Amino acid sequence: MATKTNKNSNEQSRPRDLLTPQQMREMLTQLYLARYFDVRLIKEKKRGRLRGTLYSSHNQEAILVGSLFGLKGTDWISPIHRDMPAFFLKDMNAGWRNPDRIGMTIEEVCAQVWGKAGSPGRARDNWSHIGSKSKRIIHSTSMLAGTIPAAAGVVYADRLDGGDAVVLTFNGEGSTAQGIFHEAINFAAVHKLPVITIIENNQWAYGTPTHLEYSLEDFARRADGYGIPGLIADGQDVLDVYDKVMMAVEHARAGNGPSIVECKTFRAYGHGDHDDDRAAKYRPKDEVEEGRSRDPIAVMKRQLVALGHMTKEEAEQHLAENKGAGEVTDIDFPEEVVAYLNEGVQYAIKSPLPEAEEGGMWVFKEVE
Amino acid sequence: MASLIDGAAGTKKNYLTAIKEAIAEEMARNPHMIAMGEDIGILGGAFGVTDGLQARFGPERVIDMPISEGAIVGTACGMALNGKTVMVEMQFIDFISCGFDQIVNMTATYHYRTAGEVNIPMVIRGPAGGYGGGALYHSQMNEAWFANSPGLKIVCPSTPSDAKGLMISALRDPNPVLFYEIKELYRKREIEEELNAGDDAIVPLGKARIAREGADVTLVTYGQNVWHCLEAADNLAKEGYSAEVIDIRTLVPLDEETIIASLQKTNRLVVVNEAPMTCGFAGEILARMTTKAFRYLDAPPARVTRLDTPVPWVKPLELHVLPSVEKITETALQTIRF
Ligand SMILES: Cc1ncc(C[n+]2csc(CCOP(=O)(O)OP(=O)(O)O)c2C)c(N)n1
Ligand SMILES: [Mg+2]
Repeated sequence: MATKTNKNSNEQSRPRDLLTPQQMREMLTQLYLARYFDVRLIKEKKRGRLRGTLYSSHNQEAILVGSLFGLKGTDWISPIHRDMPAFFLKDMNAGWRNPDRIGMTIEEVCAQVWGKAGSPGRARDNWSHIGSKSKRIIHSTSMLAGTIPAAAGVVYADRLDGGDAVVLTFNGEGSTAQGIFHEAINFAAVHKLPVITIIENNQWAYGTPTHLEYSLEDFARRADGYGIPGLIADGQDVLDVYDKVMMAVEHARAGNGPSIVECKTFRAYGHGDHDDDRAAKYRPKDEVEEGRSRDPIAVMKRQLVALGHMTKEEAEQHLAENKGAGEVTDIDFPEEVVAYLNEGVQYAIKSPLPEAEEGGMWVFKEVE
Repeated sequence: MASLIDGAAGTKKNYLTAIKEAIAEEMARNPHMIAMGEDIGILGGAFGVTDGLQARFGPERVIDMPISEGAIVGTACGMALNGKTVMVEMQFIDFISCGFDQIVNMTATYHYRTAGEVNIPMVIRGPAGGYGGGALYHSQMNEAWFANSPGLKIVCPSTPSDAKGLMISALRDPNPVLFYEIKELYRKREIEEELNAGDDAIVPLGKARIAREGADVTLVTYGQNVWHCLEAADNLAKEGYSAEVIDIRTLVPLDEETIIASLQKTNRLVVVNEAPMTCGFAGEILARMTTKAFRYLDAPPARVTRLDTPVPWVKPLELHVLPSVEKITETALQTIRF
């Protein structure tokens, strides 16, 4: 996949150069975690244990891990349907099980997926439609691109209060055709707000290819129209995503305003699990093979070995890469990853259903 | 490619196939008809309503649109302004809110503000309704927003033959029509029917259907709730009462005569509708009947609606807020025993 070097990315001082070997290995572990979450849910869904649609992030994990990795806990994020792992990956570097971490716990995320009362939204809305004010995660609706204005509002308010928070909004490339996408970024650009718009360009919007969604070769060029930087990242390469997003974050924190970061990737499966069979017909087989040929886990392993941060033997200890959800088993993942998710799943299974009466509650907040 | 028309004549067809047939037949009949929406071409629509349509009529008449509901409705309006008939698909009717301005201000008012010079033949259709675990943004019945916007006809069928017949009428109507398809009925086996072809299939807009005759109470409803009311009528029969069930089929224009005629017979009215209560269409029917049929009523008219809440995801919550057969039966009994 072509990666255009951005003019302010000079090879000598990339954000990744400040990462320790340990941090880079942690990135790989987080890639495993995002992948395992996805394949585990696919399996649970196939067993009939889950309701609702599963929008797989398989093959796109480097975008989530790479863009969240360098954020501060005080930063905000706005994930969408394909970004379930973002809810628990946020502020993961503060410790996976740290109760003070400003990201969701795996228990909360699993309880949401299972539709249980332990969900932060008490399972009132489905799957990715959760968030947390205290964890600084904006709660999305289904309306694509609908949270970008709220993201701009959140950081505007933060700036008034003297904060230095940035906000990352995640969007599919197809969703950029919404009018509200333009309206929000225009406002953010006018006020130089720290809004970073991550485009997860997976080449397909449901059953529609990109050339029917917009008329640019590189979507990032849309940024020119707002007078803001548009960066392109190799969405299979967690380090490249990290570099580009961190450049945008530094630009924003310095008061220079928003950026668009286009991450080029490919959707591994159907739009949702209901679409797998049809997707196999509307997407050419060779396009799918090509799009899935650079598994982000494999790409990162190669770099770790080349940098000397990991031995070949270590890299081969677990082999989740280049395998479909039906092909991998638990031994393809690090034990800590499987254990972490097991805790979440066990919690979700034990969590009760919300009471029926809750359906009638919380339309208004009581006036005190 | 899946066949456009499933099955041979004489076979029973589902609600989705009925709509699919109507659209395909009208596109074949009317060379100036265009279809547009998200994922309707290559994919054939999220639910498959337009399956095979692009292969048959080409990508210029069956357009895969960017995810831009405002632009979809607005460009459809321009095409209609310039001689075309346009079928617009909303992937889910919930997303119609993203095209709201283009519908209520640009499209709905066109005939009015041009003193009749312009009319906009357009059908905006999409899957609607709850009871399927679709949660807040895949369960809506938001027809009241549009009933309150003059210039839009509103249709909501509950059976395959009505779905086909009303769709043909909608596509031949010179005005913008919103067409609410009940997605939980799309593939429901129990309601499959044999369908007529072409003009024989037509069901006119603005004409209610008596789904079941009765003498003790009139249940007025539309969409999925028609089936709930029929079940409630079975329950009432066990209690010794006969309920008349009226499926209004078209909200705008509303067939008031059929309802009034029923009330002359039953003297009791319960309106059932899965949209929220406040300013919902059930309230409109109650208001009209209390003014126009007051002297026939022997009991206060009642309504069974969703609570004034969004539709929550998880089953117990969803069922708590939506009308149920039990709630309908109970309300009808109270009205009868008033
Ligand atoms: C306003 C609106 N219109 C339509 C949809 C239905 N829909 C959900 S996801 C999707 C495709 C999104 O494609 P893209 O933005 O590229 O994200 P991806 O799913 O590829 O990650 C569509 C059309 C929606 N959710 N919201
Ligand atoms: Mg996409």
